[in-house]
Amino acid sequence: MASTNSPYLLVVEDSDEDFEALNRVLGRHCEIEVPLRRCYDGDEALDFLYHKGDYAETETIGPPSLILLDLNMPGSNGREVLQQLKQDEQLRVIPVVVFTTSSNPKDIETCYRHGANSYLIKPMKVQQLKSSVCQLLNYWFGVTTLPETALSATALKRSA
Amino acid sequence: MATEFITKTKAAIAQLTDPSLSVEGIDITNCDREPIHIPSAIQPHGIMLVLSDRGNKREWRIVSVSQNSAQHLGISAKSLLDKPLSQLLNHSQIEQVKSCLDRAFEAVNPLQLEIQAASSVQLFTAVVHRSGEFVILELEPTDKKESVTFFDFHSLVKRSLSLIQQTTDLTKLCQVAVEEVQRITGFDRVMVYRFDKDESGTVVAEIKQPDMPSYLGLRYPATDIPKQAKYLYILNLLRLIPDVHYQPVTMVSVPSLETKATPIDMSLSSLRSVSPVHIEYLVNMGVQASMSVSLVQDNQLWGLLVCHHNTPRSVSYERRTTCEFLAQVIALELRAKVENEDADYKLNLKTIQMSLTKALLQSESLEEGLTRDAQNLLSLTSSTGAAFCSKNQIKLIGHTPKLAEIEAMMTWLGSRFEQGSIYHTAALGEAYPPAQTFESTTSGLVALAISRVQRLYVLWFRPEVLQTVSWAGEPGKLTELGDSGEVYLSPRQSFERWQQTVIGRSLPWKECEVEAALELRTAVIGLVLQKADELSQLNSELERSNVELDSFAYIASHDLKEPLRGIHNYSSFLIEDYGNELGEDGVDKLNTLMRLTQRMEDLISSLLHYSRLGRSDLSIATVDLNEVVSEVVELVGMNNPDNVSVEVPRSLPVVECDRIQIAELFTNLITNAIKYNSKAQKRIEVGYSTETTADPGRMVFYIQDNGIGIRKKHIETIFRIFKRLHAANRFGGGTGAGLTISKKIVERHGGQLWVDSVYGEGSTFYFTLEAAKHG
Repeated sequence: MASTNSPYLLVVEDSDEDFEALNRVLGRHCEIEVPLRRCYDGDEALDFLYHKGDYAETETIGPPSLILLDLNMPGSNGREVLQQLKQDEQLRVIPVVVFTTSSNPKDIETCYRHGANSYLIKPMKVQQLKSSVCQLLNYWFGVTTLPETALSATALKRSA
Repeated sequence: MATEFITKTKAAIAQLTDPSLSVEGIDITNCDREPIHIPSAIQPHGIMLVLSDRGNKREWRIVSVSQNSAQHLGISAKSLLDKPLSQLLNHSQIEQVKSCLDRAFEAVNPLQLEIQAASSVQLFTAVVHRSGEFVILELEPTDKKESVTFFDFHSLVKRSLSLIQQTTDLTKLCQVAVEEVQRITGFDRVMVYRFDKDESGTVVAEIKQPDMPSYLGLRYPATDIPKQAKYLYILNLLRLIPDVHYQPVTMVSVPSLETKATPIDMSLSSLRSVSPVHIEYLVNMGVQASMSVSLVQDNQLWGLLVCHHNTPRSVSYERRTTCEFLAQVIALELRAKVENEDADYKLNLKTIQMSLTKALLQSESLEEGLTRDAQNLLSLTSSTGAAFCSKNQIKLIGHTPKLAEIEAMMTWLGSRFEQGSIYHTAALGEAYPPAQTFESTTSGLVALAISRVQRLYVLWFRPEVLQTVSWAGEPGKLTELGDSGEVYLSPRQSFERWQQTVIGRSLPWKECEVEAALELRTAVIGLVLQKADELSQLNSELERSNVELDSFAYIASHDLKEPLRGIHNYSSFLIEDYGNELGEDGVDKLNTLMRLTQRMEDLISSLLHYSRLGRSDLSIATVDLNEVVSEVVELVGMNNPDNVSVEVPRSLPVVECDRIQIAELFTNLITNAIKYNSKAQKRIEVGYSTETTADPGRMVFYIQDNGIGIRKKHIETIFRIFKRLHAANRFGGGTGAGLTISKKIVERHGGQLWVDSVYGEGSTFYFTLEAAKHG
């Protein structure tokens, strides 16, 4: 778990298996180490970001540097979360990467139209998963410069 | 009768006639223009007074009077002229006359007036009506004993009404009519004379003295009764001529009236003097007295009740009125009887109509529904031949003119429908002269336009039937051309039967037959609308099921893939974490597990791809297939060794298609050709055929290989989704969706995909695509 002020990656994912695979790949195979926070569905993610409900007392936790968002989840699904975030003056600066099983062109189109920063299809093969996830982290935390409001997230280099 | 109708009819009469023709000047050459409504004379059995209230509103003045006033009243016409009516009638009588005008004419007329004649008091039947600015008062001397009271009237008509009600058909109705009118009036001969469409007439019922010749069944030409007379028959339902040898009594008028251009209109008068031509006609027939009562239906003259007597005969106003009343009842009954005519036949037509409608419901096409049971279609109008004409073809049934003859007739026929959807004639040769040479001598035609826009017609034909018409005298002799070319009319001299054989005519089409044809159109249109309705419902259901399929595919993509990925990942984690402990065998099994999940994912992806293929829009462009094939070959070639050759013997054409989908089609087919091939040298040929297909805009392409071929029994099944002929791991694997997808791509382009194959030698896949319009 990340400490209150350090940069972190928010993963919105309802599948434990997918989250574990992601976590495992992140921990074992990627050069960049990024603290993770997980929300189980869209409603929880929105509560977390707006400090509401169970998260009413967590105002000290700043916004994440990047959101990895699953699309099909119980309750508010990823599309709704994305739409709401990108309509919010404060939160729209946080890059959102859609990470989903759906390869439906309609979904891809809709997500980009609503302001998704990237769209990643969950790969089937482990090898591909490893490479995708590592590339993703490397790009967003290593290559690009993130906005100040996203808490000047600086990647912590893993002591190799 | 509505005033408006009377005015209109009077105008029609005025247009037909020439007021400048005087009675003395009338002969057979100009009687068709004779102004019979303004004869300026009356018959002598009554007196006519023309009254005016001009100048003095409170008092009527006599402005015109018949010259026989002295005879009936003992007062000369001259001494009555320009005198107030009070000279003749007392105050209460005048009030009675006035009150008649205030109310409906039929309800109050006639009046009985007692007038002080020279020596005695004379009783008169008086009838009063308006004519333009004047009031016409007609007086007929009557005998008190002969006058009919209400009770007499009741007993006179009661029997007749009950007999009329008992009749079942038209013939019996007309027979009762003549018998009852004879009973009431005592005329020697009473006939019902029915007008045909061509205005000729036929005697359809008759009662006569035994020694008189029968006129029953005789036909009279239209010229026997001039048009203006027909109009008068509608205005004035009863005409009586008590003595054909009467001397017309002229009218004398005040000087101001005498100088008027048009004499008093006597259309509604019963004393009006009749045409000398008509008198001559009656005299030729040996008739001394006549009465006619009009049978009027919907303001149209349906026929006449005609009474003749061998000696002069008068009929009292009351008995005349009784006849008029009966004629009105009969006219009312006519419609029901005409409708009742051929009741069984009409019922039969309804049955045929229903069976045709049923056949239409069960048929794929209009043509099939109408022509499946040819006899049915013919029976609908009792025809011997029919033709179903659609935009580009004509189907003939039974005895019809030749195809080319009908085709040639279509243009003419097309312009026959300005008035409605149906045209019919029993004399086609007259309406359309080329039909006179039709070999099958088709003389009757009913043409129904189901849709003029789509040029959908049904035609029914009837053959020529030689008919014999019994004319009362030779009709041809009635109208002869004089030396100077004018029509020369001769009053009938002979009433002996003259038979004429009519050629070029079929049996006439009955109204119910024409109606049956029209109703067929209504049924067809109803069905078309119903089908359109069903189609739109089907469409919306299809749309819904498409949406459902889409969401199904979506769920499949996500919900099925997720557990699959879990299995795959955990297997991989097991190998990573516990590979050493599991040993080689354990790792192998986990690898198999992972391969199976991979395969399942491929299947799901193919299914998704297939379902989406039908839903995405095609982006049609003009595509050079040579480019597509060379790209595909290059792509496929990357994964294939040198032992594959793809030949394109001649340059491929340009087609209209979705480039990406067609590239996928070629990829699938070429990949298959390589995959299912065990030859050392794999040869593939891509080409097209120039032979014309059923659809000239399409070209047939082929991809031929020297592969393993397909057993005949599998030829169709290979296109079913996930249907495989070989184990999954033989021939390079694959999901088994490639051909299904290929077929769908071609079908979405409006073409077809099929295969020819010799097992063990190779297969050829064919598909059709639309050639580019300018390529």
